[in-house]
Amino acid sequence: MSFLVDGKKGNKYLLMGNEAIARGALEAGISVAAGYPGTPSSEIIENLAKAAEERNVYVEWSVNEKVAMEVAASAAFAGLRSICTVKQNGVHVASDFFVHLAYSGIRGGMLLILCEDPGAISSINEVDSRYFAKMLEVPLLEPGDFQEAKDMAKWGLELSDEIKSVIMFRSVTRLSHASGNVIIDSLPSVDKTAYFDCHGPVFSDRGPIISAPVPMMHTLQQNKMKKVAEIFEESPFNTYRGPEKPELLIITSSACYLYSIEAVHVLGLGDRVGILKLGTTWPLPPKLIKKHLSSTDNILIIEEVISFMEENIKVLAADFAGEIGVKKFYGKNDGTLPSTNEMNPDILVDALKNVLGIEYTPVPEEYEKNARILAFTKSPNRELTFCPGCPHRASFWSINNVLKMDNRGGFVCGDIGCYTMAILPTGFSTVKTVHAMGSGTGTASGFGKLRQFNMDQPVLSVCGDSTFFHAAMPALVNAVHHKSDITMVILDNSGTAMTGFQPHPGLDYNVTGEKVPSVDIAEVCRAIGARVEVRDPFELEETQNTLMDLFQDTKGAKVLILKQPCSLSPERKGKKNFEMSVNEEICIGENCGCNRLCTRIFRCPGLVWDKEKKVAHIDEVICTGCGVCASICPAGAITKVEVQ
Amino acid sequence: MKKKELKKDPYNVIITGVGGQGNVLASRLLGNMMVNNGYFVTIGETFGASQRGGSVMSHLRISKKSVWSPLIPKGMADMVVSLEPIESIKVMANYGNNKVKIISNTRPIYPVQVIAGELQYPSREDIETTIGELTSDYTFIDATDEAIKLGNPILGNIMMIGAVAGTGILPFDKKDFEKVITNYLPSDKIDANIKAFEIGEKMVH
Amino acid sequence: MKVLGATELKSNVLDKDLCIGCGACIELCPYFKTYRGKTAQLFSCDLKEGRCFAFCPKIEVDLDELSSHYFGKPYEIDPVGTYLAIKKAKAGKSAPSGSFQSGGTVSALISYALSKGIIDSAILTGRNGNDLLPIPEIVTDAAKVASYGTSKYTAAPTLAALNRAVKEGYQKIGFVGTPCQVTATAQMRLNPTSIEDFIDPVSLVIGLFCTWSLDFRVFSEFITEYAKPEEITKIDIPPPPAEIMEVFTGNGKIEIPLSVVRETVPSSCDYCIDMTSEFSDISVGVLEGISDVNTLITRTERGQKLVDEAVSAGYLEIDDIPDENRKHLMEASLNKKKRALKRLQEKGLLNTEEEDKCAILRLNDDALKNMTT
Repeated sequence: MSFLVDGKKGNKYLLMGNEAIARGALEAGISVAAGYPGTPSSEIIENLAKAAEERNVYVEWSVNEKVAMEVAASAAFAGLRSICTVKQNGVHVASDFFVHLAYSGIRGGMLLILCEDPGAISSINEVDSRYFAKMLEVPLLEPGDFQEAKDMAKWGLELSDEIKSVIMFRSVTRLSHASGNVIIDSLPSVDKTAYFDCHGPVFSDRGPIISAPVPMMHTLQQNKMKKVAEIFEESPFNTYRGPEKPELLIITSSACYLYSIEAVHVLGLGDRVGILKLGTTWPLPPKLIKKHLSSTDNILIIEEVISFMEENIKVLAADFAGEIGVKKFYGKNDGTLPSTNEMNPDILVDALKNVLGIEYTPVPEEYEKNARILAFTKSPNRELTFCPGCPHRASFWSINNVLKMDNRGGFVCGDIGCYTMAILPTGFSTVKTVHAMGSGTGTASGFGKLRQFNMDQPVLSVCGDSTFFHAAMPALVNAVHHKSDITMVILDNSGTAMTGFQPHPGLDYNVTGEKVPSVDIAEVCRAIGARVEVRDPFELEETQNTLMDLFQDTKGAKVLILKQPCSLSPERKGKKNFEMSVNEEICIGENCGCNRLCTRIFRCPGLVWDKEKKVAHIDEVICTGCGVCASICPAGAITKVEVQ
Repeated sequence: MKKKELKKDPYNVIITGVGGQGNVLASRLLGNMMVNNGYFVTIGETFGASQRGGSVMSHLRISKKSVWSPLIPKGMADMVVSLEPIESIKVMANYGNNKVKIISNTRPIYPVQVIAGELQYPSREDIETTIGELTSDYTFIDATDEAIKLGNPILGNIMMIGAVAGTGILPFDKKDFEKVITNYLPSDKIDANIKAFEIGEKMVH
Repeated sequence: MKVLGATELKSNVLDKDLCIGCGACIELCPYFKTYRGKTAQLFSCDLKEGRCFAFCPKIEVDLDELSSHYFGKPYEIDPVGTYLAIKKAKAGKSAPSGSFQSGGTVSALISYALSKGIIDSAILTGRNGNDLLPIPEIVTDAAKVASYGTSKYTAAPTLAALNRAVKEGYQKIGFVGTPCQVTATAQMRLNPTSIEDFIDPVSLVIGLFCTWSLDFRVFSEFITEYAKPEEITKIDIPPPPAEIMEVFTGNGKIEIPLSVVRETVPSSCDYCIDMTSEFSDISVGVLEGISDVNTLITRTERGQKLVDEAVSAGYLEIDDIPDENRKHLMEASLNKKKRALKRLQEKGLLNTEEEDKCAILRLNDDALKNMTT
């Protein structure tokens, strides 16, 4: 927290990329920050929330990324500076607004901060959303290390305020979630006045804000971009290190900058290979590029994830070919670098070895081979699983049982959250499709109308409480209005759990801890016109009976809300409802009649199979005392005693 | 003990364990101590779904000269601090070499497939033999057991940091730790953490 | 008998649409459940051998093994199996009255056996009042038996209640069921998975006659075109040449052509050779042409003893069966056997040789040879 409000210029900190970005935004004097939780972006809003009061910033977890961008833009319309933070697919949720904002312009400063996830460590896509900058014609900035994450956030907001256009600022996991040395600058005054100056003549910068007439606004935006390109020619965030006439020129951006430094160092190529690091990746400064392209015949371009920069540089190279000659390019398009997954120093080392014909083995082959075999045989994999006491495990247990008993091939359309893992054995593999936020109910709404094509399978969707507000509400309206025969199961665990337990409109407090009105999910669903039932997923029999009852009701869309807080939530963390134990005399174990149902199928980490005694037992350290396993044991060997 | 030069520049430490063990806190504490003593530090972390039972790994680059990549290149680890014993084996497969110094906790956290009776978790002897094949410089510490005696198993990660201090390889000591710990924990937890650090320091001697 | 596990049961029976929903695999463990007439496997089980596979009447039924155990000889293809006597019978004056399908013989025998303590419980099939769903129950009150008197026609998971009764500790169980259920019970009583300290808990098996049954889900939907399920009081299929199904409601009788009804018969019934429950103590069915009298077959000593005692006590009235009826019974039963055996052979499900495949039925070659003559 101290780094957020420390006013002393020159002080040194070890900061996470996201912390540095938050600090940079504060140094630029932002007044509003809005976003939607999404790994790896969430810490920016969380940190700004800590400093909100002291630095006079309004911080909000908006209901989704589109609204977040709209909220941030409103501040920029009122002459303030703001940021909107999203993960890579969040831009796409916001894109309809973004498309129009790009031409409509702003009256203050605004950064759209985009934290991408190359390699999809915490996503189910690795889309490269830098293309939005080119497509919408807005500037794009990419910091190359932690100091730049701060400095460029600040500079980006100042530039945005100068040209009166939103600017895209792109980070990746290996910067956002990595940490490094940052030297802070001073903080400005927090005294701000907002006013939306809109009553002047139309088509003036004191009138309404709109992206029409489109050709005119489009031209204006393109003029801004020309001006920005000139500014970028002189930017200190485009740096070069290496010989004047390198044998090979690496052009890179973002985290790949640090990988490039590392790879060149490891291979000892400092006097043969140059590194041009671009921080301003759209529009590319043509003169700068031309200068560096003429210094060599061979260029290797390394970036995350798609060959965005590579293609743009090749276009410029084609334009300049008459003057500087034809160059040889290495990168993703020719297979020198892999075209999917994230980059790392080793990939670049291999590429340099190939391109320059160098031999290099970091570790003797024998050692590496042996180490891999040992890792494979001696180090069992860690399967992803719901936490002990997770209500989703109980919910999907009931859903699986009812779908199987119904016996018509029923399935669940999944959605985004911890419960996405129900594709795996931890959720009994009940989920059969997952795409975007709210898509579970949207696709279910469609499946539910396929009865006329002889489809008999019961259709369910699952949706978290945060996801409900984000995107599933319109899908439910669609299902109800079109009489789609589906059962929407809302897994209400009182928070946005997967990304770190952020609040959402279903709760009565916000990110700065203020008490706020909550929106009641059941009431909203009833108002939409669905039949709504609310149950506790830990009551397995009641939940299953309700589900069976809902299946028999084929009149239209139904909602079952399974309400039980996440086991990591403040309400439940560290508090056991029950002390659990297994009666070893009664435990049937691996014999016919049970075959280790609790440890083999239910698979809560709190249940352990004792291979010697051939019985199950409870790990008291891991068990959270939710009591559910007592209901599933066929022998009644698991007992629960209420904790006072 | 302190104020030495780095054995190697950059000096590469990997702190590894299972989600929920305090891996991230440990790497921040160590990183902050090094920054306070005038070093460039880069920490690269993988977390997210790791809380849900997965492996966690922090790469620390410590350097007098400059900032380095948040990912250590293949085979270039210098020290591996393992909060869970089999995680060190996984780390060595990609980043290890036969000179790595391994400091490992002994208390296993069983993967779900082991708990479910499907996969085998290696025995203590087996783990020691395996690590012995990968490097000759390793120490096992009963950090969790000692931490439970102190009152909370989570203190195991602090004990491991103390152990790193005890080796004298990196230029930091208990005073540095006392300075940084106050930024991360409420005052009522400080004493237990300092005690844990002290115990860890002694455990490598 | 060849005993495998749940995985093989699922792939050979459930997935091949051969499951008749008899309930033999239900209530043994948490993995198999029945719901609205269909058996489902909730989770996979990887045990190499299980009671579910061993009891199932649609996989690896060794007829010689059963015949040797219960009747002391290898299986012969007799029209109605091994028997001591075939009579006609109906409930006597001392038997509690009720609404019976025909003669009330089964109810009479069961209520007699319960009231005399010959059995400590009876596994009977009741019906949910709102629809046609058959509900298996453990009945211990002799007075209640008569209310179970009507035929249910749709396949019922009655053996689930038998398994439950065994778990609850009943040791002299009386079971009433169809031929497939009786076959499953016969397998169960052999202790095929070698449970330690096993004592046969079944003291009486009364089998019913059955040519085919109806799939509950398919039939439920089908019947709504003709009547509301909650208004149906009785269903009957009169003997040939009627070729109709009679559905009785409060408003009277509806007739449905059998050719249409046959579309709701599970394909599993095509492979069944047993019309008269050949592994029971006593088998009971209709007597063609006479609506309130049953055909009664006694097969074992304890079955005969029960019949004799029930007659003495006035619970049952028996008489000789007319020759015509006896002849028709033999013909009908043998025809079903031949049809099914032919289909089994065509599909390679009789005496299957391949290592990795399962048969539905196994019987000695002599029996097969003799049948064709």
